[in-house]
Amino acid sequence: MHKHRLALRFGAALFAIGVVALWQLVAASGVFSKAYFTSPSQTVDALLALQARGELWQPLAGTCLRMAYGWALASVLGIAIGAALAQSDRLRDFVEPTLEFLRPLPASAIIPAAILFLGLTPQMAVAVIAFGSIWPVLLGSYNGFTRIDERIVEVARLHEMPAVAFACKIALPCALPDIFAGLRVNLAIALILAVVVEIQAGLTGLGFNIMIAQRLFRTPELYAGIVLLGAVGFITSRTLLFVERRLLRWRSLGH
Amino acid sequence: MQTSYALSGGGPIHEQIPLSTASATLASLQQPILRTRGVRVAIGHGQDRLVILDSMDIDVKPGEFLCIVGPSGCGKTTLLRLFAGLLLPTEGTVLFDGRPITGPARERAMVFQDYARALLPWRTVWANVALPYEREHVPHRERRDRAYALLERMGLKDFGDYYPGQLSGGMQQRVQIARCLAQEPRILLMDEPFGALDALTRQALQDEITRLAAERETTVVFITHDLEEAIYLGDRVIALGTKPGRIVATVDVRLVRPRHQLSTREDSQFLAHRHHLFGLLVGH
Amino acid sequence: MSRWLRALAIPVAVVTAWELWAQIFGIPYETLSHPSAIVVSGWTALWDGTILTATLQTFSGALLGLFIGVMIGVVLGIPLGLFPAADAVVGPSLDALRPIPAVALLPLALLIFGFGVRMEALIVAIGCLWPVLLVTITAVRNIDARLLEIGRLLELPGSVRILRIVLPATGGRIFVGIRIAAGISLALAITVEIALNPNGLGYAMVLASQGLDPALLWAELLWVGIIGWAFNRLLLGAERRWLPATIGAVHA
Repeated sequence: MHKHRLALRFGAALFAIGVVALWQLVAASGVFSKAYFTSPSQTVDALLALQARGELWQPLAGTCLRMAYGWALASVLGIAIGAALAQSDRLRDFVEPTLEFLRPLPASAIIPAAILFLGLTPQMAVAVIAFGSIWPVLLGSYNGFTRIDERIVEVARLHEMPAVAFACKIALPCALPDIFAGLRVNLAIALILAVVVEIQAGLTGLGFNIMIAQRLFRTPELYAGIVLLGAVGFITSRTLLFVERRLLRWRSLGH
Repeated sequence: MQTSYALSGGGPIHEQIPLSTASATLASLQQPILRTRGVRVAIGHGQDRLVILDSMDIDVKPGEFLCIVGPSGCGKTTLLRLFAGLLLPTEGTVLFDGRPITGPARERAMVFQDYARALLPWRTVWANVALPYEREHVPHRERRDRAYALLERMGLKDFGDYYPGQLSGGMQQRVQIARCLAQEPRILLMDEPFGALDALTRQALQDEITRLAAERETTVVFITHDLEEAIYLGDRVIALGTKPGRIVATVDVRLVRPRHQLSTREDSQFLAHRHHLFGLLVGH
Repeated sequence: MSRWLRALAIPVAVVTAWELWAQIFGIPYETLSHPSAIVVSGWTALWDGTILTATLQTFSGALLGLFIGVMIGVVLGIPLGLFPAADAVVGPSLDALRPIPAVALLPLALLIFGFGVRMEALIVAIGCLWPVLLVTITAVRNIDARLLEIGRLLELPGSVRILRIVLPATGGRIFVGIRIAAGISLALAITVEIALNPNGLGYAMVLASQGLDPALLWAELLWVGIIGWAFNRLLLGAERRWLPATIGAVHA
């Protein structure tokens, strides 16, 4: 079995290399117009050129920071509001229908409104990212905190557990799986919103860069920007997954 | 009524704990640790009003092992929850040490039947058992040591760092019992704790709980629908009828301790109790 | 209080308070606007067809992209689900491509197709194909092995096996993936319109924003919300009607 898995890993690597090689060949053959099809080697060259010119790290940092601030703000607020809303049973009937209605609203739809009311500023960008990506984690937090098993609540009561201890030791761990499910989604949305806001508002960042690259027909730079955005998406989602796996270790064990 | 503890020659030391005649007499003369007076539990209003328990008058003596048996729906779980303080009666009073119960308290520990739901799945086994110690701000080291001592007593010493989800049903129930013992309760309330376990595990735990209760002189109120289990375990058995739940009979169990799964269950007195209670319960 | 009253309590309260505030204290026109103006604006836009045309444009881009994305997702997902070896070889490359946000490809799509519905559909297709692909792979992988054996024993040709055994056996799980993708399709279409494409509801909102018309903007935002909610409801209803046996799996 060990050999089998090794063979598959090798096969996967071979496949990936094969795809890149195919890409390179197709680009070299000129089947697709150079105007919108760049080869891998040209993409790498463009990346290195950007780095040499000092135009790599700043936009990258711009996008990442914007996304990070917006996501962090959305997450903290979302968890807190979700927890607060979950407190009261009576509040549920008032709140749930509104939440259900707001859920399918596309996050990017608030961008034109935000630009109108807040102007084309970096603060607007963070506000848009925060507000647009808050819903998944708010819903996750709300679900997590309302679905605490009543049996565990009774155990806490039998131990005469004070409210603060209950919140930290019981409610939060119970809600954590649902909260993480929401966090994964809102991370993806935060990245999307960051890119769109940068395109719209012309703020320093990868989104803005790829827009400029397109307008100036610098297609290799466009591809380079896409690769960078993919890297941002990859690293952030993997990091979150890693944290989730460590905190929720107990879920994968047993049975 | 006194139960005398016979010495079983050559058995492990915890099976030879004698309860002296004098202290047994004293115990029975003391104030009941739990009482209910005219308790009624009903839900709904008017025409939809459903009486779950009606005019319950029960005295639980300190140190006794009281079994409450009855068909499903007779309100035995409701009665236990009244004792725990998770529920307040519609009428009447429930007294603990002579004072009315207003809510749950650490001195009245409860063991649930659905052990998987009653344990914290994100904590290790020892951290689950150590939960009661956290209130007293006991340092981490000491909490761990005390939890492990209890786990050793329950035969789970090697599983302290596992998660509850990794253990079998019987082991999880032991963890729950260990956690309840960590509370150092005066009363142990058990709601059909062995109902979800296989027969062999059930028997092992029956004997274990009897030993533990005797060791610590804890009062136990044990709920079951299994008549034989009730007679096997109890000093006294209260049979409840259904719709509405009310006391049908109270029987003092005249069986010698320590009890054995084979010999006690074949004892003529055991069978006599069984016939007696069976007739009463079926009749209702 | 009945359930309906409770559900509407907060929105009604907010709207009423807002309207009263505007009427009593007055709100400068360029900033927030107020409910009555929003209703008027929305009603006008509805009647003169602008909102409906925009909705149609958005939906054409969304549905076209959804269709393409679902097709690719299912067609790729079935063999990857049936042959774990293939999934092991191809999977890591797909995992490397997946984190690229569909919107990152906006300028590229613009280069290739220029403005219009095809560019929008391309982005939507990319956004929709990932959830459908993943759900299909998981669903096909979890088919009871015995069902697949029956197909082999009867020596059915591959296409028949797929249509008659594999697809029905996945139950409603693929449909759940399609429902999720449908939500994404609408959101992505509007996103594309807000960013670049001068068509549809997203663009209408950008125009209202640039034209400093908050009443129209709020009305269009409300409309987008209603459309999204109605679309989701429609799909849930379809799922319940045609796949009743999978209701349990739906919320899994």
